[in-house]
Amino acid sequence: MREIVTIQVGNYANFIGSHFWNFQDELLGLAEIPESDQVFKNHSLDMDVLYRTGETQQGLLTYTPRMVSVNFQGSLGSVSSRGSLYYQIPAKHLDVMAWKGRVTTHASEPLKRNLFLQSLNEEEQESVSKANDLDNLNNNSQAEIQDKDIVECLESDVQYWTDFSKVHYHPQSLYELSGLWTDIQDFDNYGLGKEAFCGHQHGEEIDDRLRFFIEECDHIQGIQCVVDDSGGFSGVSAMFLESIADEYPNVPVLLYNARNPSLHMDSKGRKQVISRNLHDAVSFSRLSELCKLIIPVGLPSLSGSRASQYLCIKDEKPYHSSAVYASAMHSFSLPFRMKQPGPSAESICTSGALDMYGMVKMLTGQMRQNMVAILDVAMPTPSLSVDRAQQSFLGNLQPLIPDIAEDVEDFHAVEAMNIHGAVTSGNRRASISEVKDAVEAAYDNSVTQRPKFSHLSASTCPLPIPLPFPLIFGNMVGQHGELLETPISGSPSRGSLEVHSIPMATRLRSSTAVLPFLESKLGNLRRFGIERGALGAPLLQSWGFGKDEVEDMGEVLSKMVTTLKPHLEYSSDSD
Amino acid sequence: MSVKVLNPNAEVLNKSAALHMNINAAKGLQDVLKTNLGPKGTIKMLVGGAGDIKLTKDGNTLLKEMQIQNPTAIMIARTAVAQDDASGDGTTSTVLFIGELMKQSERCIDEGMHPRVLVDGFEIAKRATLQFLEKFKTPVVMGDEPDQEILKMVARTTLRTKLYESLADQLTDIVANAVLCIRKPEEAIDLFMVEIMHMRHKFDVDTRLVEGLVLDHGSRHPDMKRRAENCYIMTCNVSLEYEKSEVNAGFFYSNAEQREAMVVAERRSVDERVQKIIDLKNKVCSGSDKNFVVINQKGIDPPSLDLLAREGIIALRRAKRRNMERLVLACGGEAVNSVDDLTPECLGWAGLVYEHVLGEEKYTFVENVKNPHSCTILIKGPNDHTIAQIKDAVRDGLRAVKNTIEDEAVILGAGAFEVAARQYLINDVKKTVKGRAQLGVEAFANALLVIPKTLAENSGLDTQDVIIALTGEHDEGNIVGLNQHTGEPIDPQMEGIFDNYAVKRQIVNSGPVIASQLLLVDEVIRAGRNMRKPT
Ligand SMILES: Nc1ncnc2c1ncn2[C@@H]1O[C@H](COP(=O)(O)OP(=O)(O)OP(=O)(O)O)[C@@H](O)[C@H]1O
Ligand SMILES: [Mg+2]
Repeated sequence: MREIVTIQVGNYANFIGSHFWNFQDELLGLAEIPESDQVFKNHSLDMDVLYRTGETQQGLLTYTPRMVSVNFQGSLGSVSSRGSLYYQIPAKHLDVMAWKGRVTTHASEPLKRNLFLQSLNEEEQESVSKANDLDNLNNNSQAEIQDKDIVECLESDVQYWTDFSKVHYHPQSLYELSGLWTDIQDFDNYGLGKEAFCGHQHGEEIDDRLRFFIEECDHIQGIQCVVDDSGGFSGVSAMFLESIADEYPNVPVLLYNARNPSLHMDSKGRKQVISRNLHDAVSFSRLSELCKLIIPVGLPSLSGSRASQYLCIKDEKPYHSSAVYASAMHSFSLPFRMKQPGPSAESICTSGALDMYGMVKMLTGQMRQNMVAILDVAMPTPSLSVDRAQQSFLGNLQPLIPDIAEDVEDFHAVEAMNIHGAVTSGNRRASISEVKDAVEAAYDNSVTQRPKFSHLSASTCPLPIPLPFPLIFGNMVGQHGELLETPISGSPSRGSLEVHSIPMATRLRSSTAVLPFLESKLGNLRRFGIERGALGAPLLQSWGFGKDEVEDMGEVLSKMVTTLKPHLEYSSDSD
Repeated sequence: MSVKVLNPNAEVLNKSAALHMNINAAKGLQDVLKTNLGPKGTIKMLVGGAGDIKLTKDGNTLLKEMQIQNPTAIMIARTAVAQDDASGDGTTSTVLFIGELMKQSERCIDEGMHPRVLVDGFEIAKRATLQFLEKFKTPVVMGDEPDQEILKMVARTTLRTKLYESLADQLTDIVANAVLCIRKPEEAIDLFMVEIMHMRHKFDVDTRLVEGLVLDHGSRHPDMKRRAENCYIMTCNVSLEYEKSEVNAGFFYSNAEQREAMVVAERRSVDERVQKIIDLKNKVCSGSDKNFVVINQKGIDPPSLDLLAREGIIALRRAKRRNMERLVLACGGEAVNSVDDLTPECLGWAGLVYEHVLGEEKYTFVENVKNPHSCTILIKGPNDHTIAQIKDAVRDGLRAVKNTIEDEAVILGAGAFEVAARQYLINDVKKTVKGRAQLGVEAFANALLVIPKTLAENSGLDTQDVIIALTGEHDEGNIVGLNQHTGEPIDPQMEGIFDNYAVKRQIVNSGPVIASQLLLVDEVIRAGRNMRKPT
């Protein structure tokens, strides 16, 4: 088995993570209940890749994500950082065992659990006392109402990522940075993050948490990191990644660095824009140096992008946008845990298994050393049936970052595509071979040139939509994620009560199409940070970067650009 | 230290308003922390919004848990935390001293005195106090064999401010012995060589010193022994797992056979590394009842574990980096980075290695070692917050012992130093100062009294009576401190109440620096613009 350890650093990253684990939890649940669809019961995905089996001191078996989350103190809302799985001796009588003198209690106002967390809690109590629940059947109609209320309550108010999380985490998983003494808004630059990681022994403690999960792995395939690429957490992430590179040099690190679209909404003034652009450039450069493959995501306006053509996103809601990025992450990482069939057998549920190392090598190790991948997504994926495929199958895959060139001619492009739960004519679930054929046909008919190398993985298992999920589907999306001929009248946006699963397609591309994205970073760094009299130079200094470091970062970015432009000499000191 | 803490609004506030804001913030923080001070202080139980409990009597821990937002308070908190980083103790005293300096200043400023003059007085008083500290300290001779009694008294003094007496006393010997264990003549003491390990355990609180090492993981093979005696210990940082190496980078274009061949080759080279370890084991163990334990910083995969288990070898993977160093200090031998040229000399020794399992948690004890220079303090407690509280206390205790050895001196505690220094400033120094700076010296001197006063207050005593009694004794030449039970003067020397020299010195140093910055509001802001770190 090839284990993956997941890391989530920063508030937005944890929002994404929360959705991601909800999907996994949903898959686990669906596989167990008798009435669920065959595709969920027999999905050929090895969940042990992401999860660990454990045991409490009381001998209770547990199954929890191998995951380390780093966030602000207080960012866990009404959920305890130790989780509730690993039962502890009730503290009440034994509270102050090591002090016999006076005690004062300073209790913060207990945070009220929202409707969703309350129902989660109730459910748990119920399953504990299953023996005496005879009148459970009568509650069914009541439960129906509740689901609606839950969805509504989450839609109107999600403050913390834990507000919509249904997953039990291991007590080693959730780490809070204490003693920062700043507001979240003021924790806004790389330098502060770096300081925070180094202070109060946080760094050591975080490294230890990670080690706990890695030691258990018999044969780790890699570490997937979801991180905030803005604000102080970019610095925290960089420091964390640095120590990972140091301690586990041979373990592939895949970085999914994400940006909350709402961040783009509030930097208006010129000064703020310079600051943000500069910060983007330095944190991108820094983070890219510390991983094997970087997948940046974060559209300035997700709601207005073509990637969300069938969705209705409210950019100001992290609960909304993070659901999209989490879905994409779930999809592109599926090949990492597809069960490898025997050498001759072909699985009927999955095809194209690929481990993280393979993925990294494929995308980064070919003719050029480009380590930045573009992530495209089609959410939900339209039917593969021929009439649609001709015009739009590939066209539906839309990038999740800005500044991506269209229709570039790149003779060295490499792609890894994953399609799961796809439907074909008559809204029937497509078989693996139908998916393969459809992709072939789409390439054949496409006006754009075929990539030099492409890897296709496919699975019959669609993305399950868990109850705690935002109302982000447009009125063209049906119950199984199929696109309807005529929009559903009534409410414009649909959520988990209406849509139960969706077909997804994602594509990771190593392509020169990413050049404008990289060049804008490089350009910003030069203009605002490196050139003589650059406006942002004092800013960089205040973030803790020396002149040499800034130049090194420019070097890193310009290398990324030149590797994609082998024929043009790109001089690094051009103005 | 970052200067970002400055309140941007300070620029628009007028000077006097800004000054009073600073004073109030300092007093506010002082109020929060003052009940902590000393063995009669109050422990604080912090209950978070999600019901998480933190329990602490330590200024440092408390500050970390507080969500401080006032920029002045943050500045003071940072100073206090820096105090702890540097000397391991005295955070509460630092906050109280700064608060009291501000409070004393307020009185003078309200009477029309210019902050600048006060600050000048502080500077004079600070220098005089530091000189006085040199005279006042009790030298401790640290020969080859340090005076254990004094080390234990210092440790006990701090521990009793954090834990109830009998627990503190149990820990006193443990921390003193731990430091003596890792101490090497002519070398700085590296407290990282004392591992602090904890177990959540039943209902009781228990702590012990393990001469050797406790690791928080066990072997990962069902057939490996859980207990072995007379063990050779191999400490290494060698990958014993199959890794796809860079060599097969282009494997996407290679065919299945080539790929297969590469996999086989890579596996073979891992097996060869394992075999070299087995060879060494056979060399040193064959024909004897000795055992062989491998503790590796890198990974060991199941096939390698199989090979090792078959040979009766116990193997642990992914050991903490720091444990590599600790193991060698505890068991001897050396940490090897390669299995080429292995010799028996690389190996360390432990009389006993065994595993202890608690639910999913595993611990490996490496004990009965010869002449250890690294050891482990094992804390058992029923819940996380108790464990954390004891851990903090242990850290304080270790630092106190280390400081004593390095300072070669201690300071009489229970307020004795503060009263003595205050009387010295008032009786001797003040009159040598010209002009109104005298008042600064006086304010400084009185601010020192915040320590005995607060100790008295926390013991439920009348502070005025106590101060009069103490200063009276001092004026007669008797160095006394406060008996927290009766309020009578006592001789700290007799009672064995000693504080660290380094801690006191830093409090005296940093308190007035911060207070002065806060008083000269204007200058703080100007300085703030160019105090950015150069890097
Ligand atoms: N038995 C005692 N009787 C009177 N005073 C004591 C006694 N033991 C210690 N003290 C005094 O208590 C003070 C130390 O208290 P405490 O350890 O609570 O605070 P701190 O060291 O300033 O801060 P912290 O330990 O929280 O970082 C010292 O001034 C010390 O002299
Ligand atoms: Mg103390």
